[in-house]
Amino acid sequence: MTTPGAANPTGRGTAAAEVPIDTSSESAVRRAGRQLIFSAFGALRAVKLYPLENAAVEKALVELTNQSREMLASQGELEIRLSGEFIFINQTRLRLALDNFGSFSHLLSVFRTNGVGSVTVGVGVTSKQWLVLLSLLQSPGVDDPALRLTQLAAKLADAGVTAFTLAPPTDHGSDDREQAKERAKRTYTESVSATRELIESIRMGGSPNIKKIKRVVQGIVDQILNEETSLIGLTTIRDYDEYTFTHSVNVCIFSVALGKRLGLSKLQLYDLGMAALFHDIGKSRVPQSILTKTTGLTNDEWPLIAAHPWLGVLALFQVRGAQELPYRAMIVAHEHHMKRDLTGYPRPIRARQLSVFSKIVAIADAFDAATTRRSYQTVPFTPAEVMSELRDNPARGMDPVIVKAFINLTGVYPVGTLVVLDTFELGVVHAANPLQEMLSRPIVRIISDAQGNLQHPGTLVDLADRNADGVFARTIIKTDNPDRYGIRIGDYFV
Amino acid sequence: MTFPPAAAAGQTRATEQLDTPFSPSLVEELLRLIAKTARAHQLYLPNNPIYRGAIDSLRAGFGAIWNEADEITLVIAEGEFLWCDVPVWRDAVGTSKTPDSLPWLFYKDGVRELTLAKGFEEQEALTFLEMIQRARKATADEDDLVTMLWEADFTFLKYAYVDLLHDGSAGALADGGEVTAVAADEVKAAAREPVEQPRTAGIVDMADFDATLYFLDDREIEYLQSEIVREYQQDLRVNISAVLLDIFESQAKPEVREEVLDDLETLMVYLLSAGHFRGVARLLREASQSAARASDMTADQRERLSHLPDRLSSPEVLSQLIQSLDASATPPTREELEDLFDQLRPSALATVFQWLGKLQDDGVRTVLTGAAERLASTNTTELIRLIHSADRDVSGEAVRRAGSAKAQAAVAALGRVLSDPEPARRLLAAQALTEIGSAGALQALERALEDADRDVRIHVARTVMAREHRPALARLDAVVKGKAVRAADRTEKMVFFEAYGTMCGDGGVAHLDALLNGRSLLRYREDSEMRACAAIALGRIGTDKAIAALRKAAVEKDVIVRNAVARALRGDARGSDVAGAAAE
Repeated sequence: MTTPGAANPTGRGTAAAEVPIDTSSESAVRRAGRQLIFSAFGALRAVKLYPLENAAVEKALVELTNQSREMLASQGELEIRLSGEFIFINQTRLRLALDNFGSFSHLLSVFRTNGVGSVTVGVGVTSKQWLVLLSLLQSPGVDDPALRLTQLAAKLADAGVTAFTLAPPTDHGSDDREQAKERAKRTYTESVSATRELIESIRMGGSPNIKKIKRVVQGIVDQILNEETSLIGLTTIRDYDEYTFTHSVNVCIFSVALGKRLGLSKLQLYDLGMAALFHDIGKSRVPQSILTKTTGLTNDEWPLIAAHPWLGVLALFQVRGAQELPYRAMIVAHEHHMKRDLTGYPRPIRARQLSVFSKIVAIADAFDAATTRRSYQTVPFTPAEVMSELRDNPARGMDPVIVKAFINLTGVYPVGTLVVLDTFELGVVHAANPLQEMLSRPIVRIISDAQGNLQHPGTLVDLADRNADGVFARTIIKTDNPDRYGIRIGDYFV
Repeated sequence: MTFPPAAAAGQTRATEQLDTPFSPSLVEELLRLIAKTARAHQLYLPNNPIYRGAIDSLRAGFGAIWNEADEITLVIAEGEFLWCDVPVWRDAVGTSKTPDSLPWLFYKDGVRELTLAKGFEEQEALTFLEMIQRARKATADEDDLVTMLWEADFTFLKYAYVDLLHDGSAGALADGGEVTAVAADEVKAAAREPVEQPRTAGIVDMADFDATLYFLDDREIEYLQSEIVREYQQDLRVNISAVLLDIFESQAKPEVREEVLDDLETLMVYLLSAGHFRGVARLLREASQSAARASDMTADQRERLSHLPDRLSSPEVLSQLIQSLDASATPPTREELEDLFDQLRPSALATVFQWLGKLQDDGVRTVLTGAAERLASTNTTELIRLIHSADRDVSGEAVRRAGSAKAQAAVAALGRVLSDPEPARRLLAAQALTEIGSAGALQALERALEDADRDVRIHVARTVMAREHRPALARLDAVVKGKAVRAADRTEKMVFFEAYGTMCGDGGVAHLDALLNGRSLLRYREDSEMRACAAIALGRIGTDKAIAALRKAAVEKDVIVRNAVARALRGDARGSDVAGAAAE
């Protein structure tokens, strides 16, 4: 029996005597928790921007204190805990939305920098105590988060602040990571399989049902919302033979992950994921011989490839199983090769404004396509090269703000990039650094030691780690092409 | 039919012997209420008292559970629900594995566990009931419950499922490849390679280290938020219709255009069924533009594209549309309807006419009347054709519209309707001709002064009087001097005399004087009514000669005649009023 992350039943009911008052219900906690995070964010900013005696600081602290006290009174406890990309208040996960993701991500970043995994707020918390904590969280100190946490706790004790109990992040252990990885693999393989089925059905002139596609996109959204690293890692497989299918799945994964970063809701991510998965559906109507041609396309052949965006619209009229026609997917299929100034292809006749989903998918599409070995691109570009091109070449016509957000998602060195370190070790970027200011120092899997001995699976290191002298232990000196060393990047993610 | 197991067996459960936190009977009752409310949801509208009562009972059922626990978890088997390993619902014989079986409904789609928490009963329960109904009706092609549950994104309901869509045949990803060594020298050499072309060789750029370059500032966040708002505010269907027409115009291949035309028709049906009338209007407008603009179009293609608006105007489609509009609980705005009906073609007139008299919704009728008038005034040929329609509703409406459109071209057709055996239709035609009011229309009307129907005659007489249509004088003269008028009722008599008086001048005074004042040996020759009518007609003439004739009757004893004469002399009222007043 599968029990996906989003569908996690929570056991039996509790006896009457243990039932708390109604305000403890999840929605009440969510509402109050959300407000608390807003207040904490406001207070952090006020403490950072204004002199401590400023009325704005006092007001923000009073608000935060009142919020905390109200929660303590209604819930009997108040714990703010980080888990992955989420904030939990008293075991209730707060929902990330467009109107709150800025404050959420700032708080996550501040907690991580200080090595704080959770803060338990005690009864009797005062504005002054909040002021001390927030000031310390934003004061400069050592870079090692674990050490920072110890220092933070000591400074709080020195200042006589007893209302807060700080704890390091919970490590769920390798078992959890393995389970997440297995779930990601299952989601990925099922996605590729369903996509293959769909595209082949359209190629044969059938009217495929999209039930399975919906299910796999739901799986991708769940996975990205809960633990995105494993699934993003799998996009590095870039199977040559299965390119058409894996590319669609990869673009879906990147788009959903980027959408999450942009603060889209779960159902909006679903819409985006569906559109992304279908973006190249028009290629199912392009002759296979053209798609797999290894030499340059002739003048007669190019229009056949360039037709795939609008052919995608027509192909999507064929699918069954949707309550409505998949309009959003049609629009993305049609627009994903249009540039911001509406050049690119196809050239629209009527005035139009590109959909933000099309802009997201265009970036994910360009990134995955350029980094993959294909029939006519035997040597793919490195992820970092592609990222630079998207960022720096306006002729690509990408939306610069979304490119920026994409780099923010993937880090300066995207997942799967082969990097040469100043220790002469080779590493594969495993994940972007969760610390926003460390985007150029990703989490890297060391796959070859200084002597050139390949290691499998290798060890994960955080390039933000410093040695005893306070110097970064490892630094990227360049990115390189894995083919040069006969390395298959995907092997390190399965 | 399904029922709780204990009730079915007629047993009383010994709660204390079960390892449950509270009595299973509460859960059994809750499930019974869920099933009952699901049926009510299926049968009644939300404002129905039975439905509202069922919802209230369901919420009370949940309330009883929440007095004992914060949440309950139900395990789903093929034909039963279990709570704490205790069966709390079992299908009755004959209902298992049918959509009527609640457990089976979930089980067949792979749902194996449902956890309902406090708060579910408020809004989410309604969504859940809707979902049950949708699942019961769903075909194999449609979403299953796992997908529906996911999309509903419940806060107070959690579920576990087995994925029946994926059979595990997707295959597994191969584990890591063969481990070999790389040449250490190669790595060192690579590390020492000069960093010359930062943008082309994947070499690190110093800018890459400034992570703050990639933080989104407030302005950028605001931009993204506005983009997402725009994404969800856009009209997707209108966007797609524009895309399809773009494809149509830019792709000349016949098979592509054929497919696009099919898709446009499909889209139009979707738009109509979704009540997106403005979208239909836009699609049809744009289609006309494309028909005019696209190059290399074959005659067939142009015809099919032009045919799109005709589809909307076809009797079957338009009837469906009007019927659904009239029955709709939330009719579209007037602007939307006007937009839509603006796209109707002349071929729609018959259907529109057919429906105008039957509509219940005033708003729809008003807009449809406007559309009918517009179409009628610009398509007289079709209008004239419809005047002769065998369908009486259509023909009647066409006659009316011909009048209100003052369709001069319809006079001959309307004149023919004046010979119709049905008096009501003749009257309608007479009224239409009156509205047209041209010389030709009045000429066509004249002969109806002798119509077999009183109402027609009166209407025509009033018309010729109002328009002082002198060519009709001869016919009026014949009526006034004829015998038949004596048998007519007072109103008709009065109208004819009044009309006559309006147009006859002194030439009619002698006859009228004779009617008013003519005596036999002992009494007046005419009865009071005839004399009063003559007085009114003389009043209308108003010449000295006419006045003199009236004065002769000024001392009349007959109160009806006296009053008529008095008023005629004062010239202060219409004859029919005078006659009425006199009769009183």
